[in-house]
Amino acid sequence: MDSRSKPFGSGARLVWRRQRALWWVFLFNLALALIGTRTLVQDASGVLNHSLESSRRLVHGFDVSVFTELGALPEDPFRATNAPFFWTPILFTIFMLFMTGGILTTYYDDLKLDTASFFESCGRHFWRFLRLLIYFGIAMIPIGILASICGKVYNHIDDLSVSPYTAPASGVAAILVLLLLLLSVRFWFDIAQVIAIADYEKRMHKALRLSAKLVWRDFGSLFWLYLRISVVAWLVFAFGLYVWMMWLKPESTRLAFVVSQLLILWWLGTRLWQRASGIEWYKDHQELQAVAEARAPIPPPAPVEEEEEVVVGA
Amino acid sequence: MLTHEPSLPRRLAMTIRRNFGFVPCSMMLLAAALPCLAAAAGRNAAQGAPPAAMAASTEKKPLSTRVVAYNITAKLDPQKHTIDASETLTYRNLTGQPQQTFPFHLYLNAFQPQSTFMTEVRLYGTRGTSSDTDWDNKHYGSETVTRFEVEGMGDLTDKMQFIQPDDHNTNDYTVFQVTLPKPVAPGASVTFRMEFKDVMPEVVERTGYKRDFFMVGQWFPKVGVWWKNQWNCHQFHATTEFFADFGTFDVNLIVPQNEVVGAGGDLIGTANNSDGTKTFTFHSEDVHDFSWTASPDYTDVEDSWTGSAGEVKIHVLLSPGNMASAPRYVKTLKGTLSLYDQWIGPYPYDRITVVDPPHGGIAAGGMEYPTLITAGTAWFMPKGLRIPEVVVEHEFGHQYWYGMVATNEFEEAWLDEGINSYLEVKMMAAMYGPQTSMLNFPFAQEGDLESQRTSYLSDPDYDPLTRFAWQFVGNNSYGGVTYGKTATVLLTLDNLLGEEKMREVMHEYFLRYRFTHPTGEDFLKTIEDVSGQNLRWYFDQAVYGTNILDYEIDKADSDRVNWWEPEKSAKTSDKHQLYRTYVRVHRKGDFIMPVDVKVTFDDGSSAVEHWDGRDRWIRYTYEKNAQLVSAEVDPARKILLDRNLFNNSYTVDEDKRAIHKLRNIWTFASEWLSQLLAWFT
Repeated sequence: MDSRSKPFGSGARLVWRRQRALWWVFLFNLALALIGTRTLVQDASGVLNHSLESSRRLVHGFDVSVFTELGALPEDPFRATNAPFFWTPILFTIFMLFMTGGILTTYYDDLKLDTASFFESCGRHFWRFLRLLIYFGIAMIPIGILASICGKVYNHIDDLSVSPYTAPASGVAAILVLLLLLLSVRFWFDIAQVIAIADYEKRMHKALRLSAKLVWRDFGSLFWLYLRISVVAWLVFAFGLYVWMMWLKPESTRLAFVVSQLLILWWLGTRLWQRASGIEWYKDHQELQAVAEARAPIPPPAPVEEEEEVVVGA
Repeated sequence: MLTHEPSLPRRLAMTIRRNFGFVPCSMMLLAAALPCLAAAAGRNAAQGAPPAAMAASTEKKPLSTRVVAYNITAKLDPQKHTIDASETLTYRNLTGQPQQTFPFHLYLNAFQPQSTFMTEVRLYGTRGTSSDTDWDNKHYGSETVTRFEVEGMGDLTDKMQFIQPDDHNTNDYTVFQVTLPKPVAPGASVTFRMEFKDVMPEVVERTGYKRDFFMVGQWFPKVGVWWKNQWNCHQFHATTEFFADFGTFDVNLIVPQNEVVGAGGDLIGTANNSDGTKTFTFHSEDVHDFSWTASPDYTDVEDSWTGSAGEVKIHVLLSPGNMASAPRYVKTLKGTLSLYDQWIGPYPYDRITVVDPPHGGIAAGGMEYPTLITAGTAWFMPKGLRIPEVVVEHEFGHQYWYGMVATNEFEEAWLDEGINSYLEVKMMAAMYGPQTSMLNFPFAQEGDLESQRTSYLSDPDYDPLTRFAWQFVGNNSYGGVTYGKTATVLLTLDNLLGEEKMREVMHEYFLRYRFTHPTGEDFLKTIEDVSGQNLRWYFDQAVYGTNILDYEIDKADSDRVNWWEPEKSAKTSDKHQLYRTYVRVHRKGDFIMPVDVKVTFDDGSSAVEHWDGRDRWIRYTYEKNAQLVSAEVDPARKILLDRNLFNNSYTVDEDKRAIHKLRNIWTFASEWLSQLLAWFT
C-alpha cells in the first residue's frame, strides 16, 4: 500500500525538482495572453489613460457598465481584440501538445535534459500525441452525448418540478458525474502518453490499449490520485479568486496582477502535478511488475547428463 | 414592464414554429359553472347586480371619470389551462357624440403564429424572446368570444368583425369591433354581455401558466379608448403594452379550493362551492385593468405600510424556494411607497400585491397591473445583485405612471416606462446608494443611472422617444430609447433644473393628470410651467429628435511662450516661465447643448468657461506661469446624455491604473482559456 500512496507526494516533488518546465510553460502562456490582449490594451488606453472618467469609475472601484459603455463607442476597443484573444489559446494548445513529450521525458528520466534532447523528445512525440488527441476527441463523443442527455433531463425536471432545487441538484450531480468521467478519460490518456515515453511505444492505439488495461486493473488508486490533486487545485484556486476579488483594494493593480498570475501558475502546476504523479504511478507499476516477475516460480532445470568426474591426483 | 434587468437568468420561455396554423378554439361555455357561482356568491353574476359591500364602496367619491364598469365571472380549469367566463360591461358614452361602433381588445389571440405580435417577434424579438426561436404549441393562446349581446339590442355575435387598424394583417385577431343597430347617445350608457373562453399559453409575455402557477393578465375582452376624437384600439404588438379607460371591476373567480389567489382588487368575500371549487369575489375601482394569479404553492407574506392616504395592505405571494427574497421585496416596496408619497403624491389604493413567479415562469415577471405587480428573483439570488429590488421598485412605480397617470402605452411608451425609469434611478439611489443601486460587490459595482444610460448607447439614433412603440426599428432600440434614453434625458434635466425643481415638476404632473390620459406634450408643458423656462430647444433634440450628444476635449497642451529659447533644466527651471495653454473643445454630435469647460493648472488654479456649444469647436487660450494639468467638459457631470463621457476630459499625465486593471482581467481570462483548451492535449 505504501508504494500506491506515494505518487501524490512524489509527483509534487518531481514538479518542484523539474520546475524549469513549469516556468517556461507559464511564461509562454503569459506572453501569448499579453499578445492576445495587446490590441485591447492599446485601443482602450487611448480612451482611458488621459480621461478623468476612467479613474472615477475603474480605479477606486469597478463599475461594470464601463464595459458596455466602451463597447458602445464607435471606436469599440473590444472589437479589435476579439480575434487574437481567441486564437492565442489555440496557439497555446498546440504549444502544449508539442512540449508534452519533452516535459514527460524530463519527468520520467528525472533529469535536466539539455535543450537538444528536450526538443528532440518534443519533436519525436508531437505526431504521436496529436494522434492521441484525435483519439481523445473520439472518446469525448459519448461523454458529449451523455452531457446532451443530461441537459435535456435537466430541462425536463426543471419544467416539471415545483421545487426550484430539484433541477439544480440533479444538474450538479450530473456535472459531477461528467467531470469524474472526464477525469477518468484524462488519466487513461495521460498514462498512454507515459507508456509512449517510457516504453518507446510508437503505436498510440497500442499505448491506449495497454493504458486501458492498467487503468482498469488499478482504477481506484489512479482515480483517487487524480481526484485529490483536482480537489486541491480547485480549492486553492477558489481561495485565490476570493482573495483577488474580495480582499485586495481596488487600487492595487500590481498586487492584483501578482495574485492573478500566481493563480495561473498554480493551475498550470497542478496539471503538471497530475502528469508527474501519473509517471510516478507508472514507475511504481513497473517496479511491482519487476518484483512480480522476480518472484515468479523458476521452472526446474532440464535434466542434464552427469559429466565424468575427473579425479585429480588419483 | 421591465425589459432589461441585467444578469437576470431569464429562461427563454417562448418558441415559434412557422408551420403552425391557426386553430380556432372550441366554443365551450361555462354554463355548468354559473349556477354554482350564483349560489355561492348569493347573486346572479350574469345580471351584474353589485353585492352590498361593493355598493357601499362605490358610494365614495370616485377618483376617476369612470367610463367602464366590468362585471366578470370566470372559472379556471387548471388541468386544461382554460378559463370560461362571462362578462358584463357597462360603457358610459362620455365622448360627446353618438357612438355606434365599438372596438374591443382580445390580447390573448396574439399568441398564435400568424398574429402581428408573432410576426414582429420573428422580425426583431421581444422581451425574453429572440427572433430566431421556434414556435412551440405550448405557447398557443386564444381568447374567443362565443356570445355577444347588447342590452336592448339582442344577440350581435354575428356582427363581430376582426379588424387590423395598424397593419392590415388579416390573420391577426387581437381586435374586433361591433357596429350596433342604433347609436348610443352622448351621456347614455350601453351594456355589453359576453361569454368567452381563454386558452392560456405557457407563460409568455407577461401571462400564462407554468405547472400549477397561473398569471392571468389581459385576459378578458376590453373595450378601446375614445381618445383624440377617435377610437384608440391598437392590435397587440411585440413591443406594445396597454391602454384603457378607468372604471370599476367586480370579478368572481372560481378556482379549485387548494388555490391561493391574488388579484388587483379588494377581496370582498370567498365561498366554497359544492363541486370542490371556491369563489373569490373582488372589487376594484378607479383602475383600468384587472389581473389575477393563482397557485397552490404560494406563501402569502403579509405586511402593511401607512402613508398620507392611509394604510396599504401588502401581500407578497412567494413561489417555492424564494422565501429569502421576501424581506428584500418588502423593504424595497415600503421604501418606494414612502418615496412616492413624499416626492410625487399619495398612493390612494388600500392594497398592493407582489406576485413572485416560480422558476421557469419568469416570463410572467416584471409586469405592472393596477394594484398588482409581478416581480422576479431566484433561489440563489445574491444580495449584491439587486434584481428583486429594482424590479419591485420599477413595477410599483407604474402604479403612478400607467396606473394613475394613464398614458397611452401603445403610442407614447416613454411616458410610462421612461418617466418610471427616471424615478427608478432616483429612488434606487436614495435607497441603495447611487453607485451601488444595481450591483454591489467588493469587486464590481453598478449604479442604476449608469445601467439606464448605457442601455440606449447601442442604438442611440434610430428612433425618437415619441415614436409609436411598434414602429421602432427593433426591440433593442425600443427598450434602449423608451427606458434608457428617456431616463437619461430626464436625469440630465434633473441636473440642469435642480433636483428640487424636477421633483416639483413630477409632483405637479401627477396632480394635474392622475386618473386621466395625458399626452407627451402635457408632460413637457408641465416641465416648462413649473420650471418657468422655455425648454423647446432641449425637447426638440432630446425628445423629438435623434441627435447624438458628444462633446470632447479635442486637443489640450501647454507650450512655453518663448518656445524658441532653449529649455531650462529641471533644476534651474524658472518659476516665472510663461506658458501658453490651448484647450480645444469639439462638438462631435448634432445635439447642441451649452457646456461648461474647466481647465486646471499645475499651480492649483483653474478656469471655468461657459460655451453655448453651437459652433463645431471652440479654443480657449491662456497665458500663465503654470502648465495645464487637465481640461474637462461638463465638470459637474450634468449632461448624462453625452454619449462618450471618456472623451469629456483630458489629463496631461497618463493614469494607467484603469487600463492595468482591465489588462489584468483580460490576461487572466486569456491564460485561463488557454489552459482549459490545453487540458485536452
